[in-house]
Amino acid sequence: MTEPLLKIENVAVDFRTATGLVRAVRGVSYDVARGETLAVVGESGSGKSVTARAIMSMLADNAQVGPETKIWFQGQDISEYSEAQMLRLRGDRISMIFQEPLTSLNPIYKVGDQVAEIIQIHRPMPKQQALDEVVQLFREVQLPDPEARINQYPHEMSGGQRQRVMIAMALANKPDLLIADEPTTALDVTVQAEILSLLKALQKSHNMAVILITHDLTVVEKTSDKVVVMRYGEVVEHGTTKDIFSNPQHPYTKHLLASDPKGTPDPLDPDAAALMQATNMRVAFRISHGGFFSRQKTDIAAVNDISCAIRRGETLGIVGESGSGKTTLGMAMIKLLDANAGQIHFDGQRIDHLSRRDMRPLRPRIQVVFQDPFSSLNPRMIIRQIIEEGLIVNGIGASTAERQELVGRALDDVQMPRDAMNRFPHEFSGGQRQRLAIARALSLNPEFILLDEPTSALDLSIQAQIIDLLRDLRAKHDLSYMFISHDLKVVKALCHNVIVMQHGNVIETGPTSRVLEHPQTAYTQRLVDAAFNVISA
Amino acid sequence: MVDFSQNAEAITSGANLSYWQLVRRRFVRNRYGMIGLVACVFILFTAVFAEFIAPYHPETKDRKTIYSPPQMIHIFAPDGGLTRPYVMGYAEEMDPVTYEITFVSDPNDVRELAFFVKGDPWTFLGIEFDRHLIGTTDGSFVHLIGTDSLGRDVFSRMLIGTRITMLMGLLVMGASCFIGTFVGVSSGYFGGTFDMIVQRVVEFVKSFPDLPLYLALVAILPRRAEPMTIFIMFACILVLLRWADLSRELRGKVISIRSMDYVRAAVAVGASDGRIIRRHIVPNTSSHIIVWATYQLPEVILLESFLSFLGVGVQAPMVSWGTMLNQVRDFQSLAAAPWLMAPVGMIVISVLAFNAFGDGLRDAMDPYSHD
Repeated sequence: MTEPLLKIENVAVDFRTATGLVRAVRGVSYDVARGETLAVVGESGSGKSVTARAIMSMLADNAQVGPETKIWFQGQDISEYSEAQMLRLRGDRISMIFQEPLTSLNPIYKVGDQVAEIIQIHRPMPKQQALDEVVQLFREVQLPDPEARINQYPHEMSGGQRQRVMIAMALANKPDLLIADEPTTALDVTVQAEILSLLKALQKSHNMAVILITHDLTVVEKTSDKVVVMRYGEVVEHGTTKDIFSNPQHPYTKHLLASDPKGTPDPLDPDAAALMQATNMRVAFRISHGGFFSRQKTDIAAVNDISCAIRRGETLGIVGESGSGKTTLGMAMIKLLDANAGQIHFDGQRIDHLSRRDMRPLRPRIQVVFQDPFSSLNPRMIIRQIIEEGLIVNGIGASTAERQELVGRALDDVQMPRDAMNRFPHEFSGGQRQRLAIARALSLNPEFILLDEPTSALDLSIQAQIIDLLRDLRAKHDLSYMFISHDLKVVKALCHNVIVMQHGNVIETGPTSRVLEHPQTAYTQRLVDAAFNVISA
Repeated sequence: MVDFSQNAEAITSGANLSYWQLVRRRFVRNRYGMIGLVACVFILFTAVFAEFIAPYHPETKDRKTIYSPPQMIHIFAPDGGLTRPYVMGYAEEMDPVTYEITFVSDPNDVRELAFFVKGDPWTFLGIEFDRHLIGTTDGSFVHLIGTDSLGRDVFSRMLIGTRITMLMGLLVMGASCFIGTFVGVSSGYFGGTFDMIVQRVVEFVKSFPDLPLYLALVAILPRRAEPMTIFIMFACILVLLRWADLSRELRGKVISIRSMDYVRAAVAVGASDGRIIRRHIVPNTSSHIIVWATYQLPEVILLESFLSFLGVGVQAPMVSWGTMLNQVRDFQSLAAAPWLMAPVGMIVISVLAFNAFGDGLRDAMDPYSHD
């Protein structure tokens, strides 16, 4: 074993806040050697990103680094470095890739110039020479047509391409250490696989040390040599990837490892009647373009002539990459969005022509759970008010006490304590908020729930629990779901039938097991690979 | 049953503060904002209890002292040693060459000060009182900031003026907040043609050149009307030109809130537009409205004193800081009696105080604040 490239000891970070001192990270130690990948795993809020930022000394203003903290990089204690010394190190010897490729590139500069700038800061050279290097880098990160790319602006690129530019930027000065902070979380599953394979290949060719921060254990298993598991700002377990996966010691690690969505949907009654039926749905968004005098309007079809039916007790999965129109279809079916054409029948009654007022009697029977639990709960209301709203609006429950009991029962259903009622949404974590959002839908005693990616904003270990919860609730209340997702792993555990969508069209449809095991198209195959294999070995 | 017990989230439970509790805690830590708040409370307190704190009624004239300079409070007796606070009356002397009147403290005219003395009657909530916070033991006059051309006590008038100026400020602020919120929220929420028309109206209002318009509008006010009527109409004119900013700002905010999932969730449970606006939209814009209001008050104070100084705002006999400054329009009275500028000090203090308070509030309500 060679001398580690980076070794951190007893890293402690506190944040001064209005509510007192928050101890984000306590006594974290790990090390990583050249050519090695260390995965730091934990749920959101476990302090894994804060630790990485402490290494880069890029913490927020109100952060305090503990006096015991020691960070050795190439034998030097960089925790004592001044800001000027760190400037020379950052972007040169240590680089970082951030989670959000949309916001980490400056929108008003060409991407080539942005990468060239990093080169020129650390190695003064003529602009043209730097741009030549950028072309080389872009070729290395497998951006097609690199000579043309350097003159593009960030908005002209897709999320995956932007993340490749970020990687090129991080590699620009051949760093010894690369810190990748959730590099693929914001990307489509299919793109995630490509980016991870690229990182792996680049690490080999550059002989870098990589710290990969993630909550996704599948990624860890396929890419890393060593693992550090963090919870509440502390390391609970560390070891080689093989040991951790074959023989986890700490119950929390075991819990994380067991968190892949499992199980299969409950059997479906073959004679069940259709509850929700949509025929020839079409939703188009009008886009104006052209000059002032030659204004043209083009309709972009987000949902193009799609029909589907959900039977009582059925869970229908809608799968596809982002932008494939799956959410638009779902929202149009429950009339939260106006469709341009198509018929919708709910329980035998035609609803597509109903006005918002006429829809009101049906609203309690048709509910929805949104993707982002951070924006779906009004931050100024307490939980009781949030869940009670539907009851009040629909005149369910005669008195406050009666409504409170109904709210309590909804909370029992999602296994949240009843004292959550008097708290505000911001006091809960993402997974808990999503359970509260489900409770809001359940309180009205619905028959049909649209689940719009209810798990994709959540940590992996929470995802599995939400899926199990949804399955339990479906059986208990005889619900029918329409489940929108990009993650086939989740779909497999929950859905009877599945519709695969791309660019507003149906690519493939059928029972989940058949579509997953024998995909008919390359697109479906890619989605399946991304979900179950992560990296094509 | 699903097991949620192993989750990292299960144990995390910080202090359970609501949004407003958090804001209060952040605000209290902001020293500049707290000083502003204390000063604001002090000014409002002065406005409410002006008649009690002021030694005299604003129209009480001390005919023997016209343009009398401020009287110093002494606490040392002339023959040495500490004594109860007193002021000295002024003896007027005329310079035989320049005819200039000079005031010299008269050591024989000692007026002892006391708290809670009897004086001019005043009413508060319909009850009549005659006690004042300070005065002299023997009922003779005390002028802490001198007197004006009619021998009226500047200190008393300044305190009473606080009331009219603050009333104007709060009235204009409240009304423009209400109109701005109403227009901005409905315009942002309903959108479409309605929004288009409303926003053109807002632009129309905002495109007026402020000052000439104020002067022109005030010019058409009936001169002979009651001062109270003019006061109300003056306030209406200010409101007319001030609501537009807030409505434009709120419209943008409402558009972004309208697309939040919690609003769509409310639609999904069947809530009506009115309910969504009341329960979801307005509460989430409240911090913006409050901060806007605290910034609005000093602006109205400045505008009121400016226009009243020009003689087109509040009309005598109503006393406001602006009408008091109106007395020092000509250079001679300014040179002869610089203490008549005292309301400027009050204006500066109150503007600074409300701005400091507004700054502190904005920082405390900033959702992106790090602490």
